[in-house]
Amino acid sequence: MKEDMKYEAAFAEIQTIVRRMENDELDIDQMSEQLKRAQQLIKLCKDKLNKTDEEIKKILAEEK
Amino acid sequence: MESKNRYSLLELNSLVREAIECELPNEYWVEAELSECRESYGHCYMDLIQRKENAATPVARASAKCWASKWQIIRPYFERTTGQQLRAGMKVLLKVYAQFHEAYGFSWIVTDIDPNYTLGDQARRRQEIIRQLKEEGVFDLQRELALPLFCLNIAVISSKTAAGYGDFAAQLADSPFAFHSQLFPAIMQGEGVEQSIIAALNNIFFTIHQQQPFDCVVIIRGGGATSDMSGFDTLALAENVANFPLPIITGIGHDRDECILDMVSHQRVKTPTAAAAFLIDHVQAVADAIDDVQNRMTRYTQQKLTTLHSQLSTLQQALPRLFSVFKTRQEARLESIELRIPMIAERKLTAEHHKLELVTERLKALDPILLLKRGYSITRFCGHTLRDPMKLHEGDVIETIMEKGTIKSIIK
Repeated sequence: MKEDMKYEAAFAEIQTIVRRMENDELDIDQMSEQLKRAQQLIKLCKDKLNKTDEEIKKILAEEK
Repeated sequence: MESKNRYSLLELNSLVREAIECELPNEYWVEAELSECRESYGHCYMDLIQRKENAATPVARASAKCWASKWQIIRPYFERTTGQQLRAGMKVLLKVYAQFHEAYGFSWIVTDIDPNYTLGDQARRRQEIIRQLKEEGVFDLQRELALPLFCLNIAVISSKTAAGYGDFAAQLADSPFAFHSQLFPAIMQGEGVEQSIIAALNNIFFTIHQQQPFDCVVIIRGGGATSDMSGFDTLALAENVANFPLPIITGIGHDRDECILDMVSHQRVKTPTAAAAFLIDHVQAVADAIDDVQNRMTRYTQQKLTTLHSQLSTLQQALPRLFSVFKTRQEARLESIELRIPMIAERKLTAEHHKLELVTERLKALDPILLLKRGYSITRFCGHTLRDPMKLHEGDVIETIMEKGTIKSIIK
């Protein structure tokens, strides 16, 4: 997975995977692969959120 | 002609003298215009005339004399009161008695002059000039002009040698501003004032379209309050000044209130130094206004920066809170997806399992071994299931498959 993937792009892809699963658009062979992909993307998003939070706190601490 | 009726000129003139002395023994006050006035050996000799309104030729004329003994008393009083010398063109009120001298002819002998009459007449004439200027619509023209903000290039009308001009130029030079002044010399006293100033104005007018035109004109004159101001009170000069396209500042050194030149000018001040002070103050006011605007701009910019700074720091303080709201919301969304995905996947797998089971059941139902067990058999010919006996001929070998084994038969 590309490290520089944007948060919004990652989130959009997660939503697409869920939608396709719910609409039964995925066949079984794709399922595990897509599930794995979704989990990776969720992790990426969470990491990005945490990282941003830390960065903001660090920047604000420097300003003061 | 009869000789006894003849007179010598002296005899006849004596008769005239006696007649005049007899008939006109008193002193009289007479209004007249001076057409000439000159001093000789301390005596004053005048020509008196009376004109009909604006007519050139007089309707009456007489000579008058003021003997030195009287003249030395009358003259200072007249000059002190009117601020002027007796001169041609003046209207005067004279106290006179008649004198006829056999050798010198007729003359009025002046014993007194009323200066207030002359003043009144001049005031009337000034009023007439003012009325005419107002009627022409030029009386206020100069005051409608605006002095340029950077009024530094000055045309000066003055007498070259006057101390007033030197004071004026020195004061401008001492100021902190880069004044440039140019003298247009003119006669500022006595005869010729009017023509001389008009000529100077014309010279300045010709420079208006030059590269660096003058910003204003200053007419200055040093000198005491008792000097003769009549040259500044003429209609022609007033019209020239009033219609002049540049603002004209007058500082002609007098205490009188009613000088027409002052009335029509853009700005009147008392003295040449006051004129210089006026110009310096004007530029100073502009410089002050510029400083003021500069200060206000600086102040405004500083205020604006302070406001922006405080807005920014408010935002900065709000940032962690705003981001934590965003983060919480995002995390909730991610978690709900995380929960949903396994559920959906499980549902999908269950459904597929079920489908497989159904297919298995159906396959089972179709298995031919079950048929053989029930006693059915399958007949095959040449590797294919045989469904039509008419396709067989004598000698063909067929296979019959049963539950427990296969038999081969030959057709007869």
